[in-house]
Amino acid sequence: MRAIRASLYEKQESRAAFGFIVPAFVLLAVFIFYPMLHALWISFQNYNLIAAHSSFAGWGNYRKLFSDGTFGASLWHSFYFTLVVLPVQTAISLGLAMLVQKKFRGVGFFRTVYFVPVAVSFAIASTIFRLIYNKDYGMLNAVLKGIGLPAVDFLSNPRISMLGIIVLCIWRAMGFVMVIFLAGLNNIPDSLYEAAHVDGASPAQRFLYVTLPLLKRTLAFVVIITTMDALKIFIPIYITTSGGPAGSTSTVVHFIYETAFKQMNMGFAAAAAFLFFALVLAISVVQLRIFRTDVEY
Amino acid sequence: MNRKPLLLSALLLAASGALAACSGGSGNSGGAGDSGESGAPASGSASSSADSGEVVTLSFWRHDYAPEAAAFKKLIASFEEKHPNIKIDFQMIPNDQYETKIRTALAGGNPPDIMALDAPTLASYASQKAIIPLDDYFAKDGNKDDLLKPVIEGLTYNGKMYAAPNNDGTIVMFYNKKMFEEKGIPLPSKNVDEAWTWEQVLDAAKKLNDPAKGVYGWNPTPWGFVGHEGAPYSEMAFLWQAGAEILSPDGKTAKGYLDSPEAKKALTFWKGLYNVDKVSPKELPQDAFWNGKVAIHVDGPFAFQYQQQNFPNFKLGEDYDVAPLWKDRKMVGTTGSWNMAITSHSEHPDEAWQFVNWVTGVEGSKVWYEETKNLPARQSTFDAFQELKEYPMNIYAEQLSKYGHPRPVTPAYPAISEAIRLLFEDVGLGGADVDESLAKAVKKIEDGLAMIGQ
Repeated sequence: MRAIRASLYEKQESRAAFGFIVPAFVLLAVFIFYPMLHALWISFQNYNLIAAHSSFAGWGNYRKLFSDGTFGASLWHSFYFTLVVLPVQTAISLGLAMLVQKKFRGVGFFRTVYFVPVAVSFAIASTIFRLIYNKDYGMLNAVLKGIGLPAVDFLSNPRISMLGIIVLCIWRAMGFVMVIFLAGLNNIPDSLYEAAHVDGASPAQRFLYVTLPLLKRTLAFVVIITTMDALKIFIPIYITTSGGPAGSTSTVVHFIYETAFKQMNMGFAAAAAFLFFALVLAISVVQLRIFRTDVEY
Repeated sequence: MNRKPLLLSALLLAASGALAACSGGSGNSGGAGDSGESGAPASGSASSSADSGEVVTLSFWRHDYAPEAAAFKKLIASFEEKHPNIKIDFQMIPNDQYETKIRTALAGGNPPDIMALDAPTLASYASQKAIIPLDDYFAKDGNKDDLLKPVIEGLTYNGKMYAAPNNDGTIVMFYNKKMFEEKGIPLPSKNVDEAWTWEQVLDAAKKLNDPAKGVYGWNPTPWGFVGHEGAPYSEMAFLWQAGAEILSPDGKTAKGYLDSPEAKKALTFWKGLYNVDKVSPKELPQDAFWNGKVAIHVDGPFAFQYQQQNFPNFKLGEDYDVAPLWKDRKMVGTTGSWNMAITSHSEHPDEAWQFVNWVTGVEGSKVWYEETKNLPARQSTFDAFQELKEYPMNIYAEQLSKYGHPRPVTPAYPAISEAIRLLFEDVGLGGADVDESLAKAVKKIEDGLAMIGQ
């Protein structure tokens, strides 16, 4: 009797669980999985955006990618962006988090100020930065000129244009990452710091041997999220520079967009998207491995 | 327990479906007549459907440009008054999103009946059968003979004409008269046969250039290094003026044409403007010419209206004047502007033509000129307005008819536009090697040509 009831209960439970999963799965299937599979199919075709017919291309689109200099350059731009943004943004955000974690008068003000850029739409931030960066009339160069420094032409000098985008992106994202770090820092028990203090650890040692190891999970989350976001960067580039000057800020996603909607070469763009997807996936897997941790709070 | 989320997701799906329907659809305002006729294509000629009294709603998309939108609204109002059975659902789309929006709509099978079309994109749409040829319509009541030759040439693909022009366009030289007089530089001639050479303009630009005051001598492209067609539009003129071509006459290759010594000369000159003489702005400030930050500029006829509205105190004849575009070995001015095409998806092509012809026909073209002051594409409009024979419009008109050069008509144009834009950016902004940049551009165009050959 009891056994029957238990199995009935389990059955009901699993049915309920199934019921919970189905709606989410249906939505994912319709709006994510099906379009993805369709895009995969497109990537093996000669597919013009507005054409009525398409023909099978086999691996042609993928092969072409490897000899395409523009795609190679856009890959490099994406990785360059990520390689700079990842350490710099993480360090700044962690620093900010440790600053505003301290309890002092007006800390709420600082927390708000650092977080405000996150609330600004990326499109608006990009438009504003385009005005700030203007070589002749921008605020940045007005200030630089005022203190006797040479002008910085982020928008028209291909050598430094990516740095302009990087500054913009870090400015906007650091508040968000700071909040995540703040949560992680607050999870570290004070007793550990006290113990370290009693043992005579210097502030630097406390940071290295207490804070950092216990932040590993938070750090892992931040690093993976930042990497993926940075590799997929598009909006600020589309709005601030449209990939220019001289193609120096054209990232992979921008390349895909241009290829699909300006050149109307959907098949080629889809192939680039999938190759890039595979790359990002591989990087994420490696990162997850590296950050695998046994430390529990 | 599980019914509610399911219901919710079903609702969500239904809602998104409804949204999709809205974005693609048109005249909800059209009323009850709409739903009934959507299944039945218009039978026979347009007049028969007019007799039957059913109301046809045509959707029409165009990029957003305020003065021209006003002209369209006027023409639509008069059209609807005359044709009570046809309603026009006019949608304006922000300029830099227009092409993308039109293309995704075509890809999704949801395009408007009538679309605005920039001349050089014609072949790519025509080759994919996204728009229909208009020759039969033109033969019937389109007054094709009245259209200017280069316009027809620019709208013809594989022997068929696929669009009706709203107007034509070209760009000429603008110069700050006071600055010229200050430096004692003789003013350029207003005769299109006596255009200044590159060297003459550069010589003046060097004298006018004043970095301390933030004044640039010569801005050779109307909107600076922008991400849209505006840049290659003006840059191609430099290639043609030097005697270079972009494609072979049969349109099959760029090799031996775009990488010719003439093209190299043009790009070397261009590179010098930005990197050696530094008379040209790498970043064009907003309204630079009107604010006296650029001494020599280039712009279209629409610039006069813009100046009157935004800089009424900066006057033609006092503060600035216009002259024909510069020349090198040849005098050439890029032509081609916006047109109207009927999509192959339209269920009412006859009615769509009625509207297109209303706007671009002999009479509509006159209204369009009065409202927008754009350069006409019809001889009858040129004849109808005395001001087109007088300064400053006569410079545009004569340059257009004597030295006009349409952009290449090929389905690979998107690749060409992009390649030329990046070529001039690489060399101008990046100071890149001319030969290498040209090789890159040629490869890009060859890839584009190969793709359409598939």
